[in-house]
Amino acid sequence: MIDSFRQAFELLFSFDKELWQIIGVTMRMSLLSTTISCLIGLPLGALLGTKQFKGKSLIKKTVHTLMGLPPVVAGLLVYTLFTHYGPFGSLNLLFTVEIMVIAQVILITPIVIGLSSSFIEGNSKPVIETARGLGLSRRKTAMLCLSEGRSSLLSVVLSAFGRSIAEVGAVSIVGGNIQWKTRVMTTAIMLETNKGKFSFALAMGMILLLIAFLVNALASFVVKEPAHD
Amino acid sequence: MIKLENVKKRYAERTVLDIPLLSIAQGEIVAFAGANGSGKTTLLRLLAGLIQADEGSAQLPAERLYMPQQCYAFRGDLVKNITLGGGDAAKARQLLEALELSALADKPARSLSGGELQRLALCRLLVRDCRVLLLDEPTAACDARGAELVLHAIQAYREAHDCAVLMTTHSPVLAAKGADRLIILNSGKPEADGEPREVLLHPATEWAKSFIAGWKIEC
Ligand SMILES: Nc1ncnc2c1ncn2[C@@H]1O[C@H](COP(=O)(O)OP(=O)(O)OP(=O)(O)O)[C@@H](O)[C@H]1O
Ligand SMILES: [Mg+2]
Repeated sequence: MIDSFRQAFELLFSFDKELWQIIGVTMRMSLLSTTISCLIGLPLGALLGTKQFKGKSLIKKTVHTLMGLPPVVAGLLVYTLFTHYGPFGSLNLLFTVEIMVIAQVILITPIVIGLSSSFIEGNSKPVIETARGLGLSRRKTAMLCLSEGRSSLLSVVLSAFGRSIAEVGAVSIVGGNIQWKTRVMTTAIMLETNKGKFSFALAMGMILLLIAFLVNALASFVVKEPAHD
Repeated sequence: MIKLENVKKRYAERTVLDIPLLSIAQGEIVAFAGANGSGKTTLLRLLAGLIQADEGSAQLPAERLYMPQQCYAFRGDLVKNITLGGGDAAKARQLLEALELSALADKPARSLSGGELQRLALCRLLVRDCRVLLLDEPTAACDARGAELVLHAIQAYREAHDCAVLMTTHSPVLAAKGADRLIILNSGKPEADGEPREVLLHPATEWAKSFIAGWKIEC
């Protein structure tokens, strides 16, 4: 354990080219899939959380089911769609970072929709009532809902990011864990573990945690929460 | 200035509001009373345009402001809370002064007590111009002094803007002191309507009489 700590630091500060390349791919994939999922998921979550319409409860059940979609299943699905003989085979996306992002967006978007809609449903009623009572536009009302709930929405975004950076099943299937190309932290850890290099794998795991911590810290710094309450 | 004709509102087949005819003049302050669930909030939300009537027609000016029964504190200090719908900061400070909230002006609105928050929510409306004020139980959380301040602020606004004020209340004192007219709703229907003292002292129907008796007032 102590050994792994030492190794993690040595690894980080040796500026090992491959390690930094893997970190780079991991960040690119996670940030991209989180951003896309949030761009799709937050508006849909807001819609689901504030509007009443037919079939809403069916949609909610579907979303909640998809929140628990096993990553390997999502990976397999994307794989069959994009394999050489699949319907999107001609795009030649298999074993690229792009397809890893696609698989992750499928995994994460339901989480963003599900979490944000139940949060918005529970919290935005008095905001909407007050804002509309003041005759504010729909746009202004929506902005107020977002800014009033920004700390909770931030944790939705961070959950999405956390799932993305920690996920291994889907990205190893569609990405293939190719050195210098689609290898990310999690698939690298899997590989090292399989090779029996446990302390090295553990060291990578610590670096992964460190990255997650830094991203969280940065995010809560950006969305400053007043100290009282 | 405001005219409702045969307005009905139903929730799941149950009629919660049924108003054959109601007109309210410019500059009039009208208090609505009635038991819990008698449709007071529903009426104000309908007039505010937050819900639609199932039947009938409602004519009223577009410039109207509504204060919900449940007051909400936005992030930020009191002045920010007051001006987030428009209106200028100087006027906001005047209103805080009038409602005796000046000492709290730089505090976060979230830290206010229930009665303080209610007065703050009223300021949010009074800082702006409108033709109709719709206030859902504006003094429910206030102490005697607070209620007095609220009434004065409402009356001053009415003088300045010559607007109609529709408010709901469970307080006969507020109705008698603060309003020109009192309407009592019985299961969504206006059952008594007139000058507040008149309505309170000489209820028109047996039902109104027993409802008012529930207030246990001697005036
Ligand atoms: N959105 C809704 N869906 C279903 N029923 C509703 C809804 N809003 C109100 N009601 C019903 O309509 C009736 C009138 O409610 P309303 O809130 O207008 O009463 P109120 O007179 O304001 O009561 P209170 O004095 O408790 O504030 C109640 O029986 C309530 O259950
Ligand atoms: Mg009510």
